[in-house]
Amino acid sequence: MEVQKFYYDNAIVRNFILATIVWGVVGMIVGLLVALQLAWPVFNFGSEHISFGHMRPLHTNAIIFAFVGNGIFAGVYYSLQKLLKARMASDLLSKINFWGWQLIIVLAALSFLFGITTSKEYAELEWPIDILLTIIWLAYGINMIMTIARRRVKHIYAAIWWYIATFVGVALLHVVNSFAIPVTLFKSYSLFAGAQDAVVQWWYGHNAVAFFLTTPFLGLMYYYLPKSANRPIYSYKLSIIHFWSLIFLYMWAGPHHLLYQALPDWAQALGVTFSIILIAPSWGGMINGLLTLRGAWDKVRESAELKFMVVAVTAYGMATFEGPMMSLKNVNAISHFTDWTIAHVHIAGMAWNGGLIFGMLYWLVPRLFRTKLYSEKLANTHFWIATLGILLYAIPLYWGAITQWLMWREYSPEGLLRYPNFLETLTQILPMYVLRVFGGLMYLAGFVIMVFNMAKTMKSGSIVANEESEAAAIDLTESKTAGESPHRFLERKGMKFTIAAFIVLAIGGAVEIIPMTFIKSNIPTIESVKPYTPLELEGRDIYVSNGCYTCHSQVIRPFRWETDRYGDYSKIGEFVYDHPYQWGSRRIGPDLARTGAIDGPMYKTAAWHYSHFMEPNRMNEQTIMPAYSWFADNKVDLTITPRKINAMITLGVPYEDGYADRAVEDYLKQAAEVVAVLKESNIDVHPESEMVAMIAYLHKMGRDISAVKKVDEVVPAEVKEIVLEETPENLEAGSVIFSKTCASCHGANGEGVATFPSFIDAEWIHGDTPTNVFGIIKNGKPAKGMMSYKNQLSDKQIKQVTLFILKGLDK
Amino acid sequence: MAENRNNQENDDFREEFGDKLMNHDYDGIKELDNPAPKWIMAIFYVSIVFSLYYFVYYFIMDGPTQDEEYIEVNIEHEKKYNAKGDGEVFVLLTDEASIKEGEILYKEMNCGACHGANGEGNAVGPNLADNAWIHGCDFESVFDVIKNGKSSKGMTAFKNQMPDGKIQKVTSYLLSKLVNSNPENAKESQGEECK
Repeated sequence: MEVQKFYYDNAIVRNFILATIVWGVVGMIVGLLVALQLAWPVFNFGSEHISFGHMRPLHTNAIIFAFVGNGIFAGVYYSLQKLLKARMASDLLSKINFWGWQLIIVLAALSFLFGITTSKEYAELEWPIDILLTIIWLAYGINMIMTIARRRVKHIYAAIWWYIATFVGVALLHVVNSFAIPVTLFKSYSLFAGAQDAVVQWWYGHNAVAFFLTTPFLGLMYYYLPKSANRPIYSYKLSIIHFWSLIFLYMWAGPHHLLYQALPDWAQALGVTFSIILIAPSWGGMINGLLTLRGAWDKVRESAELKFMVVAVTAYGMATFEGPMMSLKNVNAISHFTDWTIAHVHIAGMAWNGGLIFGMLYWLVPRLFRTKLYSEKLANTHFWIATLGILLYAIPLYWGAITQWLMWREYSPEGLLRYPNFLETLTQILPMYVLRVFGGLMYLAGFVIMVFNMAKTMKSGSIVANEESEAAAIDLTESKTAGESPHRFLERKGMKFTIAAFIVLAIGGAVEIIPMTFIKSNIPTIESVKPYTPLELEGRDIYVSNGCYTCHSQVIRPFRWETDRYGDYSKIGEFVYDHPYQWGSRRIGPDLARTGAIDGPMYKTAAWHYSHFMEPNRMNEQTIMPAYSWFADNKVDLTITPRKINAMITLGVPYEDGYADRAVEDYLKQAAEVVAVLKESNIDVHPESEMVAMIAYLHKMGRDISAVKKVDEVVPAEVKEIVLEETPENLEAGSVIFSKTCASCHGANGEGVATFPSFIDAEWIHGDTPTNVFGIIKNGKPAKGMMSYKNQLSDKQIKQVTLFILKGLDK
Repeated sequence: MAENRNNQENDDFREEFGDKLMNHDYDGIKELDNPAPKWIMAIFYVSIVFSLYYFVYYFIMDGPTQDEEYIEVNIEHEKKYNAKGDGEVFVLLTDEASIKEGEILYKEMNCGACHGANGEGNAVGPNLADNAWIHGCDFESVFDVIKNGKSSKGMTAFKNQMPDGKIQKVTSYLLSKLVNSNPENAKESQGEECK
């Protein structure tokens, strides 16, 4: 066919490279700031806007979406055009992609400074920015697909498979996780609540790692590594196997972020098993990369760009082995809520994403500017400083994580927590936080060296904004030829490939999210859990806005060392009105799920909370919690409160009809009660201040479930014939449950107390068969004061206690 | 020129890899027809078998749910620590060492956050350095308030944070040393004067 002349768009690549460098510096400086804030709280500067809760999302978003995001675009826009022998289909869409993306970053940074956040990790952007992000992402994807359609090569190379998966994967994740009901321009409530919201969020969060930090980088690796090393890809077959298995399997693994939390066991098991199966597909990328370097290792010694790529690919292999290990429940018990996870993500982020971007830039910039790298020596210096910085960053955090976990779970010889004061377990690891600051500083220093090197390189050369090239046009419509493998055929069909990738990656999320959302038995409700009052709801919104979740979790795992410290472990039904959920992922401070349980270990009075917000150090001398004294000054905007109630009603929260009209009245009534309580301690606060709402919210958490109210009538569920297994183990287990749960009303030996019946006489009010007794325990007789235990005991446990009552008590 | 270099490399690769070199070329990137290494496929199959077993174990063979695991752990915990000294009688200690230990515990357990560093009381908790008591001034009453708390008034129960022996020492410190010490900035007395 005819040879066509065309021009590569190099200007757009240069723009994305510059944005990558600028945002990289910004994101890492903010990272340094949050590290300083944890080591020395004075770096919160007493400011509402730059306290840790605001800065931490700014750091994560700046690194992921600004630094890494622009890096992806730079790498994709260059390699895509070269691999397809075509200019980007639309210059306008390219420009919209570039400027739109930078606008999103600026809006995101501003909104975090002002506490405008959805609090869903790495998806904190509020709804207007979410919509903008969707539009810009579509502009990028459509431009890419149109370019694929106008290509001058027959087959689509492996790198582009990964770019396609990235586009469809991120689009799907972002859209579903951002479903929300807007209240104002700056505030929305997640469509999902509690455990459902958690599943959707970590399906997103885990796969943001997959489809924003992994798949695009595998694509970049498949282009820049063989280009730089000038070696053929080791195995085309391996490319196919690990591509399809990875994009299929990744989507299932999200629940491994929620192990031992308030999530059905089946969903957790999916998270564990699919994470383990992911090891080999993930390693496929590492192996194909490293084996491609066979015969080129002598080049690695000299070339900084190849060294960065080798460390990147190796770190990718380590992180994708560590990740599945952290998904095992017993390992996760250690890694979750400690700095282990923080160390893990920084190895992946700094070495894999950062390293590959650096390697790519050292290769790309001289070629783009038609010159030589200004200094190979400085590039090697960058490499060594960055690598040592990563180690100095991660090792102290691993150390701190294990130390803190050991302290959390250590018991004294009397059987009590050795370190009941959470703060002791934190001050112990503060020296590690100091070391981490230096690790981050080194990494940043290396980056600055690169910026200098790049600036010098760019200055010494010149870019051809529109680079001329030519290639023969080809016929892309050809149907399947004899002897062509199905995959080879698919590589010729861009749309079919895209649709196939979408279907393969959509399955996992659908299997987990749809049952969690629509099958009621996955979310057993608890009768006593009531919606938030207007005051508590406003308090919760303040909690969200200040990023409290960045340090405090709200979910207690069923470990003795957690229940002794925080109170009873969290149940799924407790969170049904939580739009969004606030379980958090790291405990820099203690869990707050039971701060409202008056008889629990976490309860503090209103006066304590007031004093603690005003001057945390007065209550705990060594605390690193910043003061929140502005809670006393800032007023809640009560004009929005009715709209918030209406939004909640839309989401299915059972407020009475027309409750929005009475919401402010109720708000002020409850606020007056809090004010009166504080007045008793000679503390004056304005009833409309954020302080009052926050205290009310803290006193709500865990309160409903701590005093399970009886209802007059419940219709008991049908109980099937129960057969008991009489074994010493079951008797023993039943005995323990009996003494903890039943003895307070029925007596330590089952003799009965006051009006509560005895179990050791011959009289049975509701029958004496195992099925009768089991049914009463499970469903209760609320009218007579017997509560239902179906939300507190499993069927197996109820059987055990039934056995103990019938066979274990001395009659 | 560039074409020539590519052709040269193609020939080199052809020589090095023979038939393994596939007829693929993407912006100069070649691909080899190697199979996936056996060991990585073995890891893949083993991980699938592990996962199937995991599911069978927990959902067909009735492995413990996390709620059941929790009960198991509690049974073991109770077994290990059941000698908690129930029924032991605690009395006021007057020896110097015990009172000193009580004073250290007062600091360690952060009593001062609510009752002041010197027991003078603050916005949260009452004065402990006078001799007025809201819940009784005898040893048993004070011991009980520390151990079981007065949650309605904001006093934390310390039974899960200190063994009875330590509560005994803190109580002894309060009653032997802190009462009537009259520090500065003392909060107004509450409750009844102890007789």
